[in-house]
Amino acid sequence: MGVIPQLSAFEAALAASLPAGDLRSVLESGGLPHRRVEAWKWSDLRGALARAPSGAGALTVDVSRKADQIARLDHQPDLLMPRLAAGLSDGCPVYDLQDGETLSVGFEAGEGASHHIAAVNVPAGVNAILRERYHAAPGGFANIALRIVLGEGASLTRIVEQDASPDGVLVVTTGIDLAARANMHQTTLGFGAKLARLETHVSHAGEGAQLSLGGSYLVASGLHLDQTGIVQHTGPNGATHELFKGAAAKGGRGVFQGKIHVEQAAQKTDAQMNHRGLLLADGAEIHAKPELEIYADDVVCAHGNALGAVDDEALFYMRQRGLTEPRARALLTRSFLAEPLEAIEDETVRDALLARLDAALEAVS
Amino acid sequence: MLEIKNLHARVNPEEGEAKAILKGVDLTVPAGEVHAIMGPNGCGKSTLSYVLSGHNGYEVTDGSVSFLGEEIGELEPEERAAKGLFLSFQYPVEIPGVPTLTFLKEAANAQLEARGEGEISAPEFIKRARENAAKLGISNEMLKRPVNVGFSGGEKKRMEIFQAMMLEPKFLILDETDSGLDIDALRVVADGVNALRSPERSMLVITHYQRLLEYLKPDVVHVMADGRIVKTGGPELALELEAEGYEKFSGAAA
Repeated sequence: MGVIPQLSAFEAALAASLPAGDLRSVLESGGLPHRRVEAWKWSDLRGALARAPSGAGALTVDVSRKADQIARLDHQPDLLMPRLAAGLSDGCPVYDLQDGETLSVGFEAGEGASHHIAAVNVPAGVNAILRERYHAAPGGFANIALRIVLGEGASLTRIVEQDASPDGVLVVTTGIDLAARANMHQTTLGFGAKLARLETHVSHAGEGAQLSLGGSYLVASGLHLDQTGIVQHTGPNGATHELFKGAAAKGGRGVFQGKIHVEQAAQKTDAQMNHRGLLLADGAEIHAKPELEIYADDVVCAHGNALGAVDDEALFYMRQRGLTEPRARALLTRSFLAEPLEAIEDETVRDALLARLDAALEAVS
Repeated sequence: MLEIKNLHARVNPEEGEAKAILKGVDLTVPAGEVHAIMGPNGCGKSTLSYVLSGHNGYEVTDGSVSFLGEEIGELEPEERAAKGLFLSFQYPVEIPGVPTLTFLKEAANAQLEARGEGEISAPEFIKRARENAAKLGISNEMLKRPVNVGFSGGEKKRMEIFQAMMLEPKFLILDETDSGLDIDALRVVADGVNALRSPERSMLVITHYQRLLEYLKPDVVHVMADGRIVKTGGPELALELEAEGYEKFSGAAA
């Protein structure tokens, strides 16, 4: 009965580049994710790419060291975008992190469509940092899938910087596995693109494993950033803390979708999710959908979501002391957005991200 | 120094009708003098302080405000601040994430820049901050905390006076600075205000009660009722009000 959608030229070219098989038929029958797909209702990828250049793109991947091996890897979770990334990549570079290592990866998408997959292993007991940076040039589309596995008692600080990419499109889908007592601290600082989506799926084994997911975003006019995170608690005694804060200027669009799923076996889970959005002007948009789905009965779970504008009384107070209105606004916005970044333990990394936020605020105000 | 003539103003709520609050205020405060305004709740005292400092929630519908010989009715709040107008807020606002000293240094430099003067050096600023803080019993730790965050009502009022000492305004409006203060804190704050008295600096002290005025010893006391100044006299007027209440003045204004 289903109506076969008219594939865009972009989708048709993408389908043609795939070998015949299941992935290709999925794409041909449903197209790319679009706004009538619940998980993508605020991020119309199909629309953003409908008239984008469909030729093979030049993706520059700048990594601080060589991969330990190149593997063939099917991406988890089983979703269209990471499957496409896996299906259209030649192989998957795998990085096994050493204790104390910082691995830095920069992705720069040139015009055209690129797909890439990579994997990072943090072996048991290892403590490491992973820094990623993403940018797409005008007419560039990068679809990137990452797989991150933390062994028992491993610790990873993951820092994701997404540079403002007007007229570029980025989709980054990360699947993370946490073993018992693993400690994952992920922070993003994003500025949006024509459409950017940073999607994170965490399989959380519990047993003392700790996850913190957070980030700040600032979207200027014409830019869109979607941060979607799905955390699945599968075992007991796990903790998840999420704090996302974002600000949108006139014509900017922020999206936060957060879901924490607590399975019946995941007793004593401690899960907190918070999103706060600041609308800097009329015509700014922030959409948020926080969800908890709990099947265990002995858990502490909460979520909060609030959207607002800069506090007028604080603004007046600061102006009465002599600050100009733009400066007062910038200080208030800065203090609002800094909180998730201030939780970064590594001082050098924290200061670098705060400095980037300051620079971006100067440009917006 | 400050000359208010026939000032009419109304509040512009986001919803509902505008409401006239100031209905013809006449008031002159010469340089070096301290004037008090007393009056019952809702008489327009706090509105006057907001209107003088340029709050955009109020609209001036008639009359004029001249400060140091210049009409300021159309100026932005920060322009009035740079000219030397300082409002000590009845309810000081908390600003999370912005350390007090960082905020004040930025405010001081913004005012200096607006006046075309050079920036104050950081060591000089910190030295003055320590000296002024000591006078008010404010610890270094409090100065590092975000503006007003987690402070008690009394600490916030002390911080307002500290800010005035740092910014050295020409004209202070103290809006119910005595509210929320116990008798010891009141004395500390009053001493701080008295230290700011000078022949080049004037003050407008808005209060319900005579208590603060015992310490501040105003030159002139005004009674405000229903959006107007209905009586002006010497310090004895404050005592008279304390003894007899505001009722007869409310009647006089009707």
